[in-house]
Amino acid sequence: MKKDGNLSVMLKGLLRENPVFVLILGTCPTLATTTTVIGAFSMGLAAAAVLICSNAVISLLRKFIPDTVRIPCYIVIIAGFVTIVRMFMQAYLPDIFELLGVYLDLITVNCIILGRAEMFAGKNSVGKSVLDGVGMGLGFTLALVAMATVREVLGAGSFAGIAIPFMSTHTIDIFIKAPGGLMVYGFLIAVVNAITKGKAIKKKDFSCAGCPSAGVCNGGCASAKKEGE
Amino acid sequence: MKNYIKSVGALTVICAVIAILLALTNSITAPVIEKNANAAANEALLIVLPDGEEFTSVDLSSYELPSTVTEAFTEKNGGVVVKLTTSGYGSDMVIMVGVDGSGTVTGATCLSSNETLGYEKTYGESAIGSTVDTVDGIDVIAGATKTTAAYKGAVKDALNTAVILGGGSVDVRTEEEILADNLNGALPEGEGEFESVFVAEAIDESITAVYKAVNGKGYVFVVGEAFVGADADGNVVTDVDDAVKTAVSGSVAAIINSEITELDISGYEMPNQIEKAYKTASGNYVFDLKASGFGINGDEYYNPSGEYIKIKVSVTEDGKIIACQTVSQKETDGIGSACEDVSFYSQFNGKTEADYGDIDAISGATITTNGYKTAVSKVFEAIKILKGEA
Repeated sequence: MKKDGNLSVMLKGLLRENPVFVLILGTCPTLATTTTVIGAFSMGLAAAAVLICSNAVISLLRKFIPDTVRIPCYIVIIAGFVTIVRMFMQAYLPDIFELLGVYLDLITVNCIILGRAEMFAGKNSVGKSVLDGVGMGLGFTLALVAMATVREVLGAGSFAGIAIPFMSTHTIDIFIKAPGGLMVYGFLIAVVNAITKGKAIKKKDFSCAGCPSAGVCNGGCASAKKEGE
Repeated sequence: MKNYIKSVGALTVICAVIAILLALTNSITAPVIEKNANAAANEALLIVLPDGEEFTSVDLSSYELPSTVTEAFTEKNGGVVVKLTTSGYGSDMVIMVGVDGSGTVTGATCLSSNETLGYEKTYGESAIGSTVDTVDGIDVIAGATKTTAAYKGAVKDALNTAVILGGGSVDVRTEEEILADNLNGALPEGEGEFESVFVAEAIDESITAVYKAVNGKGYVFVVGEAFVGADADGNVVTDVDDAVKTAVSGSVAAIINSEITELDISGYEMPNQIEKAYKTASGNYVFDLKASGFGINGDEYYNPSGEYIKIKVSVTEDGKIIACQTVSQKETDGIGSACEDVSFYSQFNGKTEADYGDIDAISGATITTNGYKTAVSKVFEAIKILKGEA
């Protein structure tokens, strides 16, 4: 991984290691905020902003932060940035702040951000960590917007709030409800798998060491995935 | 041990730095957020007061406001927005009224209601531009009188609230309370219990109403705006100017000595409006009348009550009406019900058959007015019958 060029560090987040469709991280905000394209886009950018900042700071402090308390340190840093983003949004983008609601605060516990802190920023240089943040953030945004586009167009007959003729009078309500969200999620994962021919990520790159649940899981999920292949 | 200290120290430093950053951000964003929150909360208020700026909520407990007022806001330029809850045809009609710094209604809107006809949605427009002095002149809508009369009352309360919040004072007592206070002021011996006296004797024409203390301690005469008390022996006890004093003392004896006897009218062929006839010791006649107003002759579409208007009229022997008073009525509320107002029935006082014509009709209530006038005019015929002239 360390051999990767700067560009590929950034680009891998868009598709090959897309946090939503390949790493299957951040499922909760993904399902919750993709009912509208604007909500999804704002959520993506907000998370990206936090991700870039926290990646940079965590990478900068990676020698300072003792290993034993790294998770609390990461959480404090991430929560700090989330709160800052939240305050600015509330002040200058109140409409979007209202739209995102509690999911804005929940960026704090978004696995993508904590995951990237653990997997990447804690081990790499500041520059690469920022690029990783940009890539992952854009990948997250892209995934959310893609999913929201399907859901909003089919479920509400509009795109970014603009009604689409015919579609707006023939809506399929399930798409903006939770089950529809899960369905679209599944289909899009399948599409991404098809494009990357199922080799989007090598399991050894995505080792259990980087997973916050490793202690409980004991590699169970990795072997389960292998069986599934 | 060293590791523990290092861990704790690192985490503490990070927390402290983050806390400082948050404090800095908060100092930038907090004023903006507060402004946004105010703007959002007050956006609704701008509907009725478009030029309002910097609204502040009013603590209602520190003012004596009309009971319908539930919320009030003042703004920079002296304007006021008042939220009121009143009952129209249904209950809980919530109305918001904006009054600008000059005391003029800038907007009125119904926020929620249980009304049936929907007039509350548009009626507010007719209130725009009215002031404390002109609000009484807003017309209620025929067929939706309960709704629109309640709405009008709310607008009036809002205007009064604006006056009170502006440091002025208005009378927020009901008409009954004002009357009771005035009567009590004129004759405290009456201990607050008075009943209206129907005048069957020719008394001074400046007297518009007479009340009697239920405990028999005296009378109160209404002369124009003044309430004049007189004790049971007929002595004027209120300090008034001589002309009024003369008018009252000249009339009080007639009232005290008034004695009426019912006449048997079964032997006469009376107009059917005449229900009962009486004669006073001084020779005047008193009649109980029933008039067919809207309650009897009204369009069935409007559910007329089916009740007559009951009227009491006293007439001198030579055919001049002394007093006319509506005893009961079930005309359309807010329209024909105006026949209950002193301003309407006192028009008949002093009329004779010859100059009977010029009675002002109640606006929008032709059927009520005509029925009323016809019934009262029958007293002239009745007197002639009783005197054997007809």
